[in-house]
Amino acid sequence: MAPHDLRRPFKRPAISDQQRRRELSLQRQAQNRLDAQHHARRLASTLLFLQPPQSDPEADPEPDPEIAPEAE
Amino acid sequence: IASIEIPKKQWPELIGCLLNNMTQQDKPAGLKQATLETLGYVCEEISHEDLVQDEVNAVLTAVVQGMNLAEHSSEVRLAAARALYNALDFAQTNFENEMERNYIMKMVCETAISKEVEIRQAAFECLVSIASTYYEKLEPYMQALFELTSNAVKGDEEAVSLQAIEFWSSICDEEIELQEYESTESGDSEPPHSRFIEKALSSLVPMLLETLLKQEEDQDQDDSIWNLSMAGGTCLGLVSRTVGDAIVPLVMPFVEANILKPEWRCREAATYAFGSILEGPSIDKLSPLVHAGLDFLLKAMKDENNHVRDTTAWTLSRIFELLHSPAGGISVISSENIQQILGVLLESINDTPNVAEKICGAIYYLCQGYFEAGQASSVLTPFLTDIITQLIRTADRTDGGDSKLRSSAYETLNEVVRCSYIVDTSPIIEQLLPVIMNKLGQTLELQIVSSDDREKQGDLQASLCGVIQVIIQKLSSTDETRPIILRASDQIMALFLRVFACRSSTVHEEAMLAIGSLAYACGPKFENYMGEFYRYLEMGLQNFEEYQVCSITVGVVGDISRALDDKVLQFCDGIMKHLLNDLGSNELHRSVKPHIFSCFGDIALAIGEHFERYVLYVVQAMQQAAAVCAQLDANDEELMEYGNQLRRSIFEAYSGILQGFKDSKPEVMLPYASHLLQFIEVVFLDRQRDESVTKAAVAVMGDLADALGPNTKLLFRDRAFYIEFLGECLQSDDESIKETATWTQGMIGRVMVS
Repeated sequence: MAPHDLRRPFKRPAISDQQRRRELSLQRQAQNRLDAQHHARRLASTLLFLQPPQSDPEADPEPDPEIAPEAE
Repeated sequence: IASIEIPKKQWPELIGCLLNNMTQQDKPAGLKQATLETLGYVCEEISHEDLVQDEVNAVLTAVVQGMNLAEHSSEVRLAAARALYNALDFAQTNFENEMERNYIMKMVCETAISKEVEIRQAAFECLVSIASTYYEKLEPYMQALFELTSNAVKGDEEAVSLQAIEFWSSICDEEIELQEYESTESGDSEPPHSRFIEKALSSLVPMLLETLLKQEEDQDQDDSIWNLSMAGGTCLGLVSRTVGDAIVPLVMPFVEANILKPEWRCREAATYAFGSILEGPSIDKLSPLVHAGLDFLLKAMKDENNHVRDTTAWTLSRIFELLHSPAGGISVISSENIQQILGVLLESINDTPNVAEKICGAIYYLCQGYFEAGQASSVLTPFLTDIITQLIRTADRTDGGDSKLRSSAYETLNEVVRCSYIVDTSPIIEQLLPVIMNKLGQTLELQIVSSDDREKQGDLQASLCGVIQVIIQKLSSTDETRPIILRASDQIMALFLRVFACRSSTVHEEAMLAIGSLAYACGPKFENYMGEFYRYLEMGLQNFEEYQVCSITVGVVGDISRALDDKVLQFCDGIMKHLLNDLGSNELHRSVKPHIFSCFGDIALAIGEHFERYVLYVVQAMQQAAAVCAQLDANDEELMEYGNQLRRSIFEAYSGILQGFKDSKPEVMLPYASHLLQFIEVVFLDRQRDESVTKAAVAVMGDLADALGPNTKLLFRDRAFYIEFLGECLQSDDESIKETATWTQGMIGRVMVS
């Protein structure tokens, strides 16, 4: 009901470090989640690689050499 | 009452009755005044679609006629002008009609030169609102509006001139938004850009520059002040963002003419003008000016006038924010002048609190610029100890009045830590950790006798938890430095548990954020803390009111699941109960819900087959959410963004669950596979989908094939859309989408040949 607040940010650096901390945490969590799921998928890829080729070779992704020992 | 009953057509006689009060000549002025106020409020609450157009017209006619000088007392005219302010949104149809619009605008402009200052102010408030609501209709009136606002800025009472400046700030807001829209969208449906600011520029800028000289003596110390010079400078900054380079030649002569004058107002106004135009013009245009002026500004930090030093410090922070980007190959700071710059900043941080706060901002942006340049951040390493020491000293100052300076100092410290080059600086940050922990420990010993004490304690604890979180995140980001956190984790956790016992929601949020980082850093060792921490985790998950706390706690559950892996199982019944409750709650802010779905995926991946007991409930919730996604209003951008988040999180949940079951009980998910594939198809068909949704969708399709194997062969054969979807993803410019699609193609390929 009241007219909008006339005051605009004045000579303030637009820092909300709290918001930044939240966002950076979310980014880290999203990255960790991606890594965890990616890890699970890479295990699958490696298993796929270890099987004799049955389909179009182009469909097979490159194996990740770092992961191969974990799949054994 | 009207706002409830009119939309339901339960009070049809109200409008007629109110209008009757206005149209009958013999009604007392007091009744007319009260009627106008009521009409204004009713218009604000309801939509014009709730009434038939004849009624809408009659209401607006009554309001606008109430502003008529010849017919009404000043009280009635004031009430009418305020009612119109509330009714402007309601007048959409009338603003479409040229004759009606002309009439409304004529009455508002006439009212803006009333004898009574309050009425003029109310009329200008209407003009401010019209500037943003009906920007595209303003063209024919702009000449008149320029004269009106210009006279008001130059000669009217402050309350009126502030509104007149706000009119131009609102026009800038509109044009900036249009320009942002233009740069992201293409096509012929763009809303019109009338370039009012560009057209008025040569008269508008001098008018604004004049206002800069009307400062008050102590305006920097009080947040409640809003005066002509502040409004004028803010508007100048917006004009600069609107027109870019064209503002520079109009402002620089003013800067040069005033910057050396003996009167402090002139020096301050010149600096403020310069600082205000640093955003908008191109780097090429600004760079020579800033290079030429930097030395002068650094010296002006010793100006005898506090106000000049304050604005100079602010201008320096703007320069570092906008013209210091070593990553982009642009910076006013070089190896030759960095020592001088930091020398001035670290000396001036001891100035009065208002100046010190702006200096914190300058240090914040200076560090940020280097961080974006990666290795170049080591430029700051030799100065890091001094910077940190001075920031802590600043945070400890007791002359700050409120806690603004202190929190600025800590926030700057956070940026300094985040941006430091870890290879060089880990010993310095390692030393900082016990200093901050010690400070947090001291807050627990503070004597609390009033609610004010409690609030101050909470603010300080929140700041310190923030710093600890940033340190944890920084040191746990490399294998070499993570052991530092592992060694300190018992003490850190013990502190946080004591902080939780203080029960302040801000602190709860900050401590929770820090604990998420700690769990990530600790890995399986975090199990040691779960016994005592679990109750606070539950409290966080149940905090509907402060939904940010709830949201962050959900994220921490994800961190803990990854850290503890299957050891998290012992806590899962409780956690899952709360998460499912949260999902079912109408009270909880909707933004938390996508995080909950993602979290299901995290838990499922951690506990594998043990997730079976939750599957029925979780899948049901996901199916309901998927149905909600399909019903969202495609014209509502905010809702569409939410829909994208929700879709992505549902896919993430399925991915976690499928991968979790893959090795032991994939058949648990078989009954839901068809629904999932159907949902993916719906999302595929949505052309507005976000890239992150695409990526999650194509990944979960692979997970489905990977986890359920040959069981999905018929499903995929029946839903051939996947071929087209994969084709689209393989053509994507986004490498990670392509990579995921290649993997998914492999998984489905394996199923199809089985």
